[in-house]
Amino acid sequence: MRIVPKLLIWIAVLVGLVLLPHGLSFSQQEILVFLTINVLLVASYRLLTLTGEWSLGHVVIMGVGAYTSALLTKKFGVYVPVSMLLGGISAALIAVVLSFPLFRMKGFYFLIGSFAAGEIIRLLWKRFRDPFGGAKGIKGIDPMPDFSVGFYQFDFFEPTSYYYFAAVVVAVCLWILWRIEKSPVGLTFHAVHWQDKLAQASGVNVRAYRTLAFAIASGFAGISGALLAHYIGTINPNAFDIDLMVYVLTWAIVGGTATFYGPILGCVVLTVLNEIVLRELGLEQMRPLIYGAIMILSILFLPNGLESIVQKITQKKAANGTAQRSPAE
Amino acid sequence: MISKIVKSGLTRRTFLKSTAATAMSAGLPGMSLAAGDTIKIGFLAPLTGAVAAWGKPGLDGCEIWAERVNAAGGIKLDDGMHKVEFVSYDNEYDPAKARTGATKLIREDGVSFIMMLGGDTWPGVQPVADKTGMLFSTLLPSDLSPDTNTLIAPAEVHPIYNVTGVEWLAENKPDLKTAVMCAQDDALGLPSVATYLAAFEAAGIEMLDDPLLFDPATTDFAPVVTRLISKNPDIVCLDTCYSDYVHPIAEQLYQQGFKGQIISCTADFYDQMIAKTSEEFMEGFIFQFPDFDDPALNADNINFTDPNGFYAEFNKRHPGQWGAVSWEYASIMDLWKAAAEKAGSADPDAVTTAMKDGGKGAHAFGDAAWWGTELFGIDNALVGDWPVVAIEGGKARIKGFRSIPDWYAKHGDLLIKHMKAYDQMWDQRS
Repeated sequence: MRIVPKLLIWIAVLVGLVLLPHGLSFSQQEILVFLTINVLLVASYRLLTLTGEWSLGHVVIMGVGAYTSALLTKKFGVYVPVSMLLGGISAALIAVVLSFPLFRMKGFYFLIGSFAAGEIIRLLWKRFRDPFGGAKGIKGIDPMPDFSVGFYQFDFFEPTSYYYFAAVVVAVCLWILWRIEKSPVGLTFHAVHWQDKLAQASGVNVRAYRTLAFAIASGFAGISGALLAHYIGTINPNAFDIDLMVYVLTWAIVGGTATFYGPILGCVVLTVLNEIVLRELGLEQMRPLIYGAIMILSILFLPNGLESIVQKITQKKAANGTAQRSPAE
Repeated sequence: MISKIVKSGLTRRTFLKSTAATAMSAGLPGMSLAAGDTIKIGFLAPLTGAVAAWGKPGLDGCEIWAERVNAAGGIKLDDGMHKVEFVSYDNEYDPAKARTGATKLIREDGVSFIMMLGGDTWPGVQPVADKTGMLFSTLLPSDLSPDTNTLIAPAEVHPIYNVTGVEWLAENKPDLKTAVMCAQDDALGLPSVATYLAAFEAAGIEMLDDPLLFDPATTDFAPVVTRLISKNPDIVCLDTCYSDYVHPIAEQLYQQGFKGQIISCTADFYDQMIAKTSEEFMEGFIFQFPDFDDPALNADNINFTDPNGFYAEFNKRHPGQWGAVSWEYASIMDLWKAAAEKAGSADPDAVTTAMKDGGKGAHAFGDAAWWGTELFGIDNALVGDWPVVAIEGGKARIKGFRSIPDWYAKHGDLLIKHMKAYDQMWDQRS
């Protein structure tokens, strides 16, 4: 009996996501594409935080995926979806390489070390104009090739088409991330965070699991970077700088990282607020000020993030449901 | 409607038609103007963030321009007079946001022309320009390429005009023989580095070191300046640094005791620099952007309408905010207005044709020619004279106008050599 309503909810969500772009303006459709990509970025970031480590190099790793995918299509003519996948794989491999020096550190030292590692990668992109394009980066990146599925013609210049494509990719990635978190591997990630000594005593190779989380998170961040690169058609080192990293941290902190949906909620709410609400209200130039104020206020008054509001509501509903059922039981 | 478009394949014509239809159905102004409709002009530039100094003052200047034009009746097209209005979108100097902004301005706001700062943001907008045929302008001609013929650079030929400052310096201060240079390592800094290298070489000024390229995230300029002046140069060149860098670098030069010549592309908010250093230290600082209360701008060859009045009004409304771009976007609008009135239409194609008719145009600093094939692959940059400005007694003053085409005729090969070395020629951009 409980499966049917759950299925109905998922069908409603699916229909809502399919219809969503048609209820938006053209510019809001564009924002929806970037939001979809950023959802994958922030969700992948959360997987890393499961092991207790917060990185400042995650958007640079996203950039690794973007650069790899862009170069594979531009220089070797690799089919775009394949290059996106390879972008993700290369980001994961780079993360494995970085893990050797980085996981000699923990906590604050890891945070600073990850920032330094990211800056080194960004400087390499700038220094080597061939093949990375230097400070100007790469432009004219091949777009996703258009195709038809009979009832719908995908034209990837149009945000709606790209949104559908990105949404499918992101949904698959989120499902994999979800399955990983719920698997014994995911539970071990939690153990590495909260009970690392106990986990170690139980035979868990803590460093290997940290590396695994870092590599998986980086792989999905790389895919998000590739999705971005093939939509806007240009990337440069500044697009993956600390400014974007601060946004990712803000989404994660404001949304909360205790649940899978927390950072996603933070990303959606803050993007809509920043890119749609404040612009529509004519507060375009006040956005950094208001955005900063919201972050401070949310930390002060919502220390457990937006997810705590959802948890309160769902717990209340569950409690009401139990109370209503109990007399009959 | 969307399915109809995608079935037939999206062409520029179908795109513009769908835009107009969608805009009308949404109750928004469409692409084609009815008699008396307000002409909307898009302003797509950074209004917040590190590069806002090259966006926000330009929008402020445009608002004054629009008020003046509207007070005089508006823009005269074939179907009568039209008021003009600016619609802005803050792209935060981010290509993705610039793409979103271009889409909004064209498909929702129904603008007839879009002005941009350009640079890193242009590649994000280029596909939108190619699909729609919308006329865009940039302040950075290094965005120009034969790939897009609807992008023009009518206000400034950054960074080529920087040669005029070096040329003036060589003629008027021949005792200055050595130079060093620093710049942020980005799309704005590198072509400027190549230009200054060519200008110094043409002027016989020796570079004591390779240009010092620093990361745009740099905040501590003490080591940068220490290294710069370690070889005792006669000239320190600040290239096209953002004002967020020019100020601390000048401050460091002052604190570290540099007493030589400084040359820079811009010196936005130079009064603040004087306050942080001293009037004596800033005396003779050479740059390229005049205050518009300068008496030299009242000459007959100047095509900007009432520059002194414009400057006074700008400072009244935005005290201390006058910068390099305060007048530039407004001067582009002078050119656009003249072309639209000549064409009798605000249609991007008609305006472009009228604007480039005869290969000449009325640039703010005098009559100029559409130029650029060798450097940019397309003659879409309006080039003529450019002023050399020096700070004297705490005030910016034009020291003279120099011809960019004349310099290029003599030293163009040097410029191409250095541009190639920095991969800045249009056919080298990846």
